[in-house]
Amino acid sequence: MVVVKSVTCPICGSLCDDIELTIENNEVVKVKNGCALCESKFLGYKGEHRIKTPLIRKDGKLMPVSLDEAIHKAAEILANANYPILYGWSSTSCEAQRIGVELAEEIGGVIDNTAVVCHGPSILSVQEVGIPTCTLGQIRHRADLIIYWGCDPWSAHPRHLERYTAFTEGRFEKSDWKGYIQKVKAAAGKKKIESAVRRGVVKRPKAQPMLQHELVNAPPPTLMKEGRKLIVVDARKSMTAEMADYFIQVEPNKDYEVMQAIRALIRDQELDVDKVGGVPVEYLEEVADAMVNCNFGVIFFGMGLTQTAGKFRNIEVAISLIRDLNKRTKFVIMPMRGHFNVTGANVVFTWQSGYPYGVDFSLGYPRYNPGETTCMDILLRGESDATLVIAADPGATFPRRAVEHMAKTPLIVIDPHMNATAMLGDVVIPSAFVGIESEGTAYRMDHVPLPLKKVVDPPKGLLSDEEILRRILEEVRAIKAKKMREAEAA
Amino acid sequence: MIVLSPLKKFQFPVIAECISPDIFKGKSLAEIAKLEVWEGNKQRTLGDLFKIEEDKAETPDIVINGDASEVRFVGKAMKSGEIVINGVIGMHLGEKMAGGKITVNGDAGGWAGAEMKGGLIEIHGNAGDYLASPYRGSSAGMRGGTIIVDGNVGSDSGVYMRGGVIKIRGSAKQFLGFRMVDGTIYVQKECGTRVGACMTGGKIVVGGFLEEVMPTFTIDSIKPKVKIDDAESANGPFYVFLGDLAEEGRGKLFVSKPANPHLSSYEKFL
Ligand code: SF4
Repeated sequence: MVVVKSVTCPICGSLCDDIELTIENNEVVKVKNGCALCESKFLGYKGEHRIKTPLIRKDGKLMPVSLDEAIHKAAEILANANYPILYGWSSTSCEAQRIGVELAEEIGGVIDNTAVVCHGPSILSVQEVGIPTCTLGQIRHRADLIIYWGCDPWSAHPRHLERYTAFTEGRFEKSDWKGYIQKVKAAAGKKKIESAVRRGVVKRPKAQPMLQHELVNAPPPTLMKEGRKLIVVDARKSMTAEMADYFIQVEPNKDYEVMQAIRALIRDQELDVDKVGGVPVEYLEEVADAMVNCNFGVIFFGMGLTQTAGKFRNIEVAISLIRDLNKRTKFVIMPMRGHFNVTGANVVFTWQSGYPYGVDFSLGYPRYNPGETTCMDILLRGESDATLVIAADPGATFPRRAVEHMAKTPLIVIDPHMNATAMLGDVVIPSAFVGIESEGTAYRMDHVPLPLKKVVDPPKGLLSDEEILRRILEEVRAIKAKKMREAEAA
Repeated sequence: MIVLSPLKKFQFPVIAECISPDIFKGKSLAEIAKLEVWEGNKQRTLGDLFKIEEDKAETPDIVINGDASEVRFVGKAMKSGEIVINGVIGMHLGEKMAGGKITVNGDAGGWAGAEMKGGLIEIHGNAGDYLASPYRGSSAGMRGGTIIVDGNVGSDSGVYMRGGVIKIRGSAKQFLGFRMVDGTIYVQKECGTRVGACMTGGKIVVGGFLEEVMPTFTIDSIKPKVKIDDAESANGPFYVFLGDLAEEGRGKLFVSKPANPHLSSYEKFL
């Protein structure tokens, strides 16, 4: 039995690096410090859906083949394609991503990562207005106003609050955990009374259904208190919202208007309307005051902002808001990246090609124009003639028409699991779990690179994503060289 | 006049920056057929992909007949001459165009007239998203010239516009004239929300229904009519809004009064 300390959790963008694993007989038997997501991954990754051997589709059925055969077949498909796409990359190491970019350049393909369906819009807006940001460590020690906009870290990044923001004990800012416990107690008391009412112990007139505008409460006086404050803005009351000092429920798809209104209020402009996105303007004025009066504020935003009406313009306005606020105080902004290494994919693509996602190498040099060179749009227009999917499951997440085109053309899948995409695949190559069975590097959501550890050996015969890609790349080069020789001879 | 007809239905993107009167000028048919284009990741010649014929008529200089929906960058940076497209044309039509005329008897893809400086583009069908808008990270919007679209246009059109006129006879989607600095945009029918967001100057005229004016616009007056360009003016009456206040902008947004009775609540501020 060995205990491995300081393991990085390869699940969400928080990339907690304080996990302790107990290993027995090449298996993880105990997880310490991790959240529920982390535990279930480290203890359950060996599940029944694991692919054990490489597969190739023959007569409509996936048949086991040797690794060499699968790699040769994959290389052949890619080397002969006119407009191939390479998609995924968010749940693998930077080392594998780097070879991916090399492969894309070699075959004249389009390489794209899952940012295109989550935080791609954030990147677009960063390109329009820049981004004032910092590391999570700085937020932990200094931030006294924390705003989560369109995201629910309690469910999607469970340790984010506890490790980096409201509930962590920073050097200059204290944890708000005690306040939260009090709130929970108060809420429990309220629930007791409510259930008593329901059981008829206490009589109360029937409540009318609430209207949207009544859902937004006035800001509590605690918004002006000293110390850490937590504000949540969302279209629905999430778990994180329950903990917040102030929760603002914005009408769906109205975030843009609300942010723009706050921007105008910060500039002391008068608005001609009483409400924006269902929120009374006087409440927004108080929020604007709290923002201006904090010492160090931060907005974390999620897909509630990037994937609703306005998309990247929502983020652009958020960043513009931060820029305005920085004239009065210190404010930063950070996207809540989902997959553990989607930030890494953007970073690696950028230092290799100059662009963060949707990079088209078909003309021999990198070209980038989201909407034109992004994987989903290419599939919807039916332009590609081969697809490689690695460490992602577009078969389950893309619109039907895109999946149909992907299935119609040759499809290569590299993944540890038999997911929806792998089931559609023509060549399926199983890989080792990065961060458990193979090592590598990943970038946390604040662009801090962290090492991923290998804690157990992969099942026999399985290679890491990096090695599989390197072998495909070598094979592609061999096929191209052979073709060249043949052409010269002819 | 050179007539181009696609030899097949293209599946892969065809990058054909060479289809421009300035480049064709003074070249024989054989020379034109040898011009470089890309189909997917393969380099080809124009003659590989198009049937190329010469016609006696002087104008237009170039005619494209048939489905060219995958053919991109036609008329890139053209300075003079005329192109007529009888069918659908792909993205980036007339990018950085400085003069001359392009007529599309069909629909046009996204980014038509991107970063345009002068000349005239007439689209008799619909236009895609990002009409006359710059690329990511650039603030070089349309600077001059005229674009007329008979049908509808997509979202984010006229973004960062700095001059020129866009006339849309149909409807437009959201973020029309986003961060506009100068110039004129006229939508005759319905317009998506967030029109003129972050604009600091210029003029947007909405002749049809507009669900909501950005909260950061303030009402200024009611005007009976507004001038679009030397040849055209639109009849109202129009509510005139100023904004975007979040940018301390002085852009003008004209919204038809008869088509938008729900905006009458603004009248109390007049
Ligand atoms: S918060 Fe994310 S990175 Fe941290 S332990 Fe949980 S799943 Fe892993």
